[in-house]
Amino acid sequence: MTTAIMALSNVRDLYQQVILEHYKKPRHKGKTNPVHRQQRGHNPSCGDTIELTLKLNDAGDTIEDVKFEGEGCAIAMASADLMADVLRGKQVTEALSMVQRFQNMMKGEDEFPKELRKLNVMQGVSQFPVRIKCANLTWHTLKAALESTHDLANTGFVSNEDT
Amino acid sequence: MTLTREKTLADRIRSDFPILHQKVNGKPLVYLDNAATSQKPLLVLNTLRDYYEQYNSNVHRGVHTLSAKATDAYEAARDKVAAFINAASRQEIVFTRNASEAINLVAYSWGSSLQTGDEIILSVMEHHSNLIPWQLLAQRTGAVLKFVELTAEQEFDLEHFKSLISDKTKLVATVHVSNTLGCISPVKEIAAIAHEHGAKVLIDACQSVPHMPIDVQQIDCDWLVASGHKMCAPTGIGFLYGKLDILRSMSPFLGGGEMIADVFLDHATYADLPHKFEAGTPAIAEAIALGAAVDYLSAIGMDNIYAYEAELTAYLWEQLGQISEIQTYGPQPKVAGLGRAALAAFTAGDVHPHDLSTILDQAGVAIRAGHHCTQPLHRHLGIQSTARASLSFYNTRQEIDVFIAALKEAIEFFGSIFS
Repeated sequence: MTTAIMALSNVRDLYQQVILEHYKKPRHKGKTNPVHRQQRGHNPSCGDTIELTLKLNDAGDTIEDVKFEGEGCAIAMASADLMADVLRGKQVTEALSMVQRFQNMMKGEDEFPKELRKLNVMQGVSQFPVRIKCANLTWHTLKAALESTHDLANTGFVSNEDT
Repeated sequence: MTLTREKTLADRIRSDFPILHQKVNGKPLVYLDNAATSQKPLLVLNTLRDYYEQYNSNVHRGVHTLSAKATDAYEAARDKVAAFINAASRQEIVFTRNASEAINLVAYSWGSSLQTGDEIILSVMEHHSNLIPWQLLAQRTGAVLKFVELTAEQEFDLEHFKSLISDKTKLVATVHVSNTLGCISPVKEIAAIAHEHGAKVLIDACQSVPHMPIDVQQIDCDWLVASGHKMCAPTGIGFLYGKLDILRSMSPFLGGGEMIADVFLDHATYADLPHKFEAGTPAIAEAIALGAAVDYLSAIGMDNIYAYEAELTAYLWEQLGQISEIQTYGPQPKVAGLGRAALAAFTAGDVHPHDLSTILDQAGVAIRAGHHCTQPLHRHLGIQSTARASLSFYNTRQEIDVFIAALKEAIEFFGSIFS
């Protein structure tokens, strides 16, 4: 492709191949069966929406499956698919600390260790401050899903822009 | 095609806009987000500076020299706005913070007389600022909202409007030029039909006042609102035009200083128009600068601006039409780019508008991505968001070329991943 017009290296840092693949061919779209947690999230200023469903183990302390539905940009959708990828088998407490780590990574202050390094592909987003909320949306929604006390019933949206 | 006015307009006046002459991400800025806000010419910037350096003072209060000078300049700005839209009287121009505040003023003041079952007609393409105030009013009064839909060309459907209006209709509030579709609504016909049924008419002219000649007496609307920042003036200033007798009949909106005649501990009488609706110290510098913006636009001539922007419109749509992945929304321009606003909302195949905007930003091109504060319209069109390039008279055909080239690169960048 021609390179006369834009600073493509920046664009490539942001839209890495892995991100575009998760955007175009998501592996975790849909709803879990059964649904133990359900949470919708949105970014009101841009209109991106996401709906997460979670399947937990019998004790309710470990994530067995995560699926998502929604509409949004490549960053938001790829972030959701990557997150679903790594959450299987994770304890709820562990997942909550991953939320914190991801949000810190978006500030350029942290990254994931070797076993979770596939999430580090999102690090480029930290260089595009206006897009951080796109990447955070799914994690913000996960936090709300995990912290809700009822099983389903979460019909409202959690906004990614209130904090 | 030839852009005959390009040498005589955009090229002539671009040097008036310092902000345009910079690089963004290493590339010359191409500012195509004018429907969100316009840039400001030196005349406006200097007016702000002169005010604060030479005669900053409160208006309508002091007898000292600076206060008199500030008051004169503030009231002169009102005269300029009145003349700009051909209001019959300077008292018909109320300065507000923006168009949203102007609409809220009408919704709270005039709207409080509505009763259960009264009907308000809007269109499905309203900006949220001409929707939410009426939703709130409907909740307070029991009034009912009705919505005019779009024609096949995605314009205001006058026939549908005629089928909605009845003697129950108390208000028709509609956008003049859609910030998303770019269609120009037949406001004169709308007003005539509304008045036949005894309904009032409010026109949201945010996207028309900066781009074409506006004559409120010819439209015969009861109210018209616009925001200064979209017409080369600063943020924080807008105006409400209202017919004199109607404004007179309305109760004050906000209470405070400036809007009073006589104040007692238990009651007050109010100032005459327009000050009855301007409680508190107004945005003095911004209002004076709005007057300067009106001077600036008038010196160029709104006819010239509309004609030049029509030429850019024709070129923009012609170029977009050559990219197979692009789907545009709103009516096609008519001959010579006429008949619609100089903007294009579009989607670009697999490339989400936010991603597109980020990539274009790397080419120095500023466009808007999202729902443009017309979420119900996007829902109506069955899309979540669009990208939007919106032009002004200081844009050039060369800038459209840069935008189109970057757009093609972005589509190629996303498309090439899986080809």
